Amino acid sequence: MILELMIALSVGAGLFGVGLYGALSQTNLVMIIMGVELILAAALVNVVAFWRYLRPDEPAAQMFALIIMVVMAVEMAVAFGVAIARFRSRGSVEMEEARELKG
Amino acid sequence: MTAQMVFLAFFGVAAVWFGIVVFRTRSMVRSALALLFSQTAIGVMFLVMQAEFLGVLQIMMMATEMSVMAIFMVMFMMDPGGMGEMNMTHQKRLSLWVGGIGLLAALAVVLLPDWGLVATSVPSAQAQAEDLGRELLSRSMLIFQSAGLTILTAMVAATMVAIVPNAEQRK
Repeated sequence: MILELMIALSVGAGLFGVGLYGALSQTNLVMIIMGVELILAAALVNVVAFWRYLRPDEPAAQMFALIIMVVMAVEMAVAFGVAIARFRSRGSVEMEEARELKG
Repeated sequence: MTAQMVFLAFFGVAAVWFGIVVFRTRSMVRSALALLFSQTAIGVMFLVMQAEFLGVLQIMMMATEMSVMAIFMVMFMMDPGGMGEMNMTHQKRLSLWVGGIGLLAALAVVLLPDWGLVATSVPSAQAQAEDLGRELLSRSMLIFQSAGLTILTAMVAATMVAIVPNAEQRK
C-alpha cells in the first residue's frame, strides 16, 4: 500500500513540475492558466492520496479536495474575465505585450 | 503488485504525459484537449483510489471547464491551429530549470519522510458520501458557505471585468 501512496504522490510531483514549467514559459494568458491548473491538479492528487492511504476515516480531507476544485474554478473564471477585458482593450492576450503592468 | 497499483501508475503516467503534451503541441486546441485528457486521467486515478464522488466530480467539472477553455483558445489566440509556427514561449531555459528543481524538490518530499502505517481499506462509496454530507453541514459548514460565496463573487467580478462599459459609464 505504501507503494501506491508513493506512485500517487510522484504523479502529483510530476504534475507540479510540468505546471511550473508551463506557467513560467508561456507568453499567452490562457496557456499560463493551463500551467496553474496543472499545479492545482497536483495539489488535488496529493490531498486525495493522503485521504486514501493515511486517513480514509476523515471526511475533512475530501472537503479540502472540494475547496481545491473551487479554487480551480474561481481562478479560471477570473482569468477568463481578465482575458476578455484585455482582448477588448488591446486585441491580444499575449503577456509580453502587457508591460504596462510593470508600473 | 496489485491491480490498484498498476492502474494508478498507468493513469498517473497518462496524466503527466498529457500535461507535457499541453506545452509541446503548437495547436492551442490540441493543448486544451490534452489538458482535458490529463484531468480526466486524474479523475480516473481518484476512482482507482476509491474516491468515487471526487472522481466523478473531477471528470464532469474538468470536461466542462476544458471545453470552455478550448472555445476561449479559438476566440483569443492569434494562431489557434498552430499552422503559422508562432513561438509563444519565453525564458524557456529558466522555466525548465525551475520546473525541474520544483519536480525534484517535490519528489524529495515524497521519498524522504516516513509515512507510517498505510490504510488498507476505505469506507464504502455510500458511507463516504454520507460522511462528506455530514462534514459539509456541520464542522466545515462555514468553509463550504465561504467557498460558495467566493464562487459567486468571482462570477460577478469576472462578468463586471468582461462587459464593455457604455458611453455614459466611460465618463
